[in-house]
Amino acid sequence: MSAIKRIFGIVWALMGVGIVPLVIKQAMKEIAAKPSEENWIFWSIVIVVLMPIIAFSLITFGVFALKGEYDTLEDI
Amino acid sequence: MAQNVRDVSTNEEVTSTRRVIAASSVGTLIEWYDFYIFGTLAKIISEQFFPKDNPTAALLATLATFAAGFVIRPFGALFFGRLGDLIGRKYTFLVTLVIMGGSTFAIGLVPGYKTIGFFAPAIVFLLRLLQGLALGGEYGGAATYVAEHSPEGKRGFWTSFIQTTATLGLFLALGVILIVRQTLGVETFGDWGWRIPFILSAFLVAISVFIRLRMSESPLFVKMKKEGKTSANPLAESFKQKDNLKMVLIALLGATAGQGVVWYTGQFYALSFLQNACNIEFVQSNFIISIALLIGTPFFIVFGALSDKIGRKYIMMAGMLIAVIAYRPIYTIMYNDANLKNKVEVVEKKDVKIKNAVKGADSLITTITTKTFTDGTTFKETVKAKFPVDPALKAAMSKEKLKPETKKEVTLPKDLYYKMIGLVLIQVIFVTMVYGPIAAFLVEIFPTRIRYTSMSLPYHIGNGVFGGLVPLISTRLVEATRPGPGLPPADPLAGLWYPILIASVSFVIGSLYISNKTNNLDA
Repeated sequence: MSAIKRIFGIVWALMGVGIVPLVIKQAMKEIAAKPSEENWIFWSIVIVVLMPIIAFSLITFGVFALKGEYDTLEDI
Repeated sequence: MAQNVRDVSTNEEVTSTRRVIAASSVGTLIEWYDFYIFGTLAKIISEQFFPKDNPTAALLATLATFAAGFVIRPFGALFFGRLGDLIGRKYTFLVTLVIMGGSTFAIGLVPGYKTIGFFAPAIVFLLRLLQGLALGGEYGGAATYVAEHSPEGKRGFWTSFIQTTATLGLFLALGVILIVRQTLGVETFGDWGWRIPFILSAFLVAISVFIRLRMSESPLFVKMKKEGKTSANPLAESFKQKDNLKMVLIALLGATAGQGVVWYTGQFYALSFLQNACNIEFVQSNFIISIALLIGTPFFIVFGALSDKIGRKYIMMAGMLIAVIAYRPIYTIMYNDANLKNKVEVVEKKDVKIKNAVKGADSLITTITTKTFTDGTTFKETVKAKFPVDPALKAAMSKEKLKPETKKEVTLPKDLYYKMIGLVLIQVIFVTMVYGPIAAFLVEIFPTRIRYTSMSLPYHIGNGVFGGLVPLISTRLVEATRPGPGLPPADPLAGLWYPILIASVSFVIGSLYISNKTNNLDA
């Protein structure tokens, strides 16, 4: 179980890293296509609030998992 | 004799715990009520304080809805969580209650935009921020306080009463608004009657403060303080120390994020879907949600109690997994049952009424079309078209302002109405599975010295940010499937991908990393 926890750690960390360019690229694409106030507000909320939380928490969590920090927690 | 003494002592403990739960729950319920009346009356508040023709006010309206809903709540969690770990639970969540009640009451008294101009939206915006701040501090305090009074092996059961308050608060808000609206009439309610639910909050809070003042501090906190073991810096201990930070992350990613989206989907998104995607009539859609909430609420306690026996993790993860699997089938049935394309019209019952009224310089033509279908469904379409009498005025008006307003209302027959209640109820059951045991889970993974701070932040990020964004992101996902302006979306269920994705990730993380073992609370 510990091995699975560690391997998945890489997945979480990569997800956290990957989400940043993905969100920014999508925001730029949509704002360029339609630069409305509504679009700006939506993407500002996603980029300023949601994305940093997801990226930071997944990367940190993934690194902890990879280092075996969660190995000691009782399985199942 | 010894047995009698033990029985009396046990009875006193039970009575005392009940009093603690009642006092904590009533206060938390009132805080949720305060928070929800703003959201429920968002349209009227927007008309009164945030006129659309003023862009700054309109921006403030959006921020008031979202910022206080999610950005401020985690800050409240940090601010009051720290206080709660430093000076005690009782006084901290008493302060949050007073702030929430005071700001809600004040919103009810703020003069409208027409009277004091830009000050109106600015004041309301600040008061809404205070509401969010107070809510961020309240829940963690109440859950911690009740948990620290609860006997071992019953913590899930006792804290589940706190878990019912968010749903009951919403229910109370809807109930009070409906009663006041029905009593005063729609016009008076829109004029000034909407202020009553806000002003009423002052009385509710006064009662709750009176009850809470008579409560004693959490026994675990008192013991810890006596022993000099309280934390000097709860924020640093909670989020800078690796051992605790890793538990904060597991609580957020493996539990509260998934719980937040399931909670918002089952209660708020379901209502929005009924009203916007299915066009179910306003009162009927609100009744569908209210009845499902009322029937589903006891399940918070059922699953809270069950978590004492089989563990918190199994129930929460099962709730997330079933929700992920069942959402699309449930919403497909809801959509199809209300979709008029699947119904046969009784053509001879079709009725069209046209009214022409002159109001000021405008001529307003209202066309009401009523259709009846063989299964008993009725459909009413109201189209209001404005025609300015003055041709110069007409030429000056934008196309947008001249566009007719269309309102579609579907009223379901009894059998489909009950079926819809059942479908929403299933979603409320998912909510109770993930939410019922979560307070006990959160308090058990953090030490007493920093519990209030540590549990409040992941809870409010999970609920406020991940959950609170469900309406915004889901609406956006549906809009993205719309082939063109005015055309129906290609996939009206696309909005479900956001909660499904978040709950799936949460389920995998929770299943892999969370322990099902229930921990004792240290002192």
